[in-house]
Amino acid sequence: MSRYLDPEESTKPYKDPTPLPADVPKVKELGVTSAPLKSAAFFLGAFCKDYNEDFMLCKAENRDSAHCLKEGRRVTRCAQDLITKLRENCLSEFEKHWNCLEYNNQEYYHCRKDERELNKCVFEKLGLTKTIPGAPAGKTPIHEVKNPVFTGVQK
Amino acid sequence: MPPPGGFEAIKYKRNLPLRGPSGLVILGGVTAVCAYGFYRLGKGNLEKRELQREKVWSRIHLVPLLLAEGDRDAYRRQQAALEREREIMKDVPGWEISRLQIPLILTESPNEAPKST
Repeated sequence: MSRYLDPEESTKPYKDPTPLPADVPKVKELGVTSAPLKSAAFFLGAFCKDYNEDFMLCKAENRDSAHCLKEGRRVTRCAQDLITKLRENCLSEFEKHWNCLEYNNQEYYHCRKDERELNKCVFEKLGLTKTIPGAPAGKTPIHEVKNPVFTGVQK
Repeated sequence: MPPPGGFEAIKYKRNLPLRGPSGLVILGGVTAVCAYGFYRLGKGNLEKRELQREKVWSRIHLVPLLLAEGDRDAYRRQQAALEREREIMKDVPGWEISRLQIPLILTESPNEAPKST
């Protein structure tokens, strides 16, 4: 316990000393960092709505971590599915947008140009739209405003 | 004796150069600039509200995903802790493992009566 061993430099592959019990089906974790998640958040909300709501209703029943494992696996599988589809269909737009978010404090309003391209591509290929619940009706949604007050250096 | 053609006229009028726009013009200009500024401010405030809404919803959409992942890990840790306890305390007669078998997350959901246990 005296020497720091960098896991990156380890020659042996990491082995979880306490894996999940065998009776719990395995699911691959998403492993996506915050910027791609933020970039895909609204499509995730649209694509996995049923699974997400099911999971949150289950959590409202009981907050115990063992209670909603099945619903949770469904949520993760759905998110996997969406990210895979995004990468298959709109890889360049997706990467451009999340890289922009990464470089701009993860604020949407700095990256409207890339976002519009991504939204267009996702709508054409996957049929998903970005809608913000609770936004005032009859007004242009904030992500489609032509000349916003708050902009980054890049419009 | 006066010079031929007479003396030149005496300069008695005040000679003031043009002093810029009048007070009314300046006042009007300032008012116009301020009005435009307040218009932008109001627009910006409305926009800020929508930006905040967008940010909040982007996080809300991610809650189930992150919670599911965290739950799996919490469950794994809980089971590992129970297993460890079973291993350590196997020689102690009458030891109950069930002491640890409480839910790992003890927050009660708001729309549910507190449990009687």
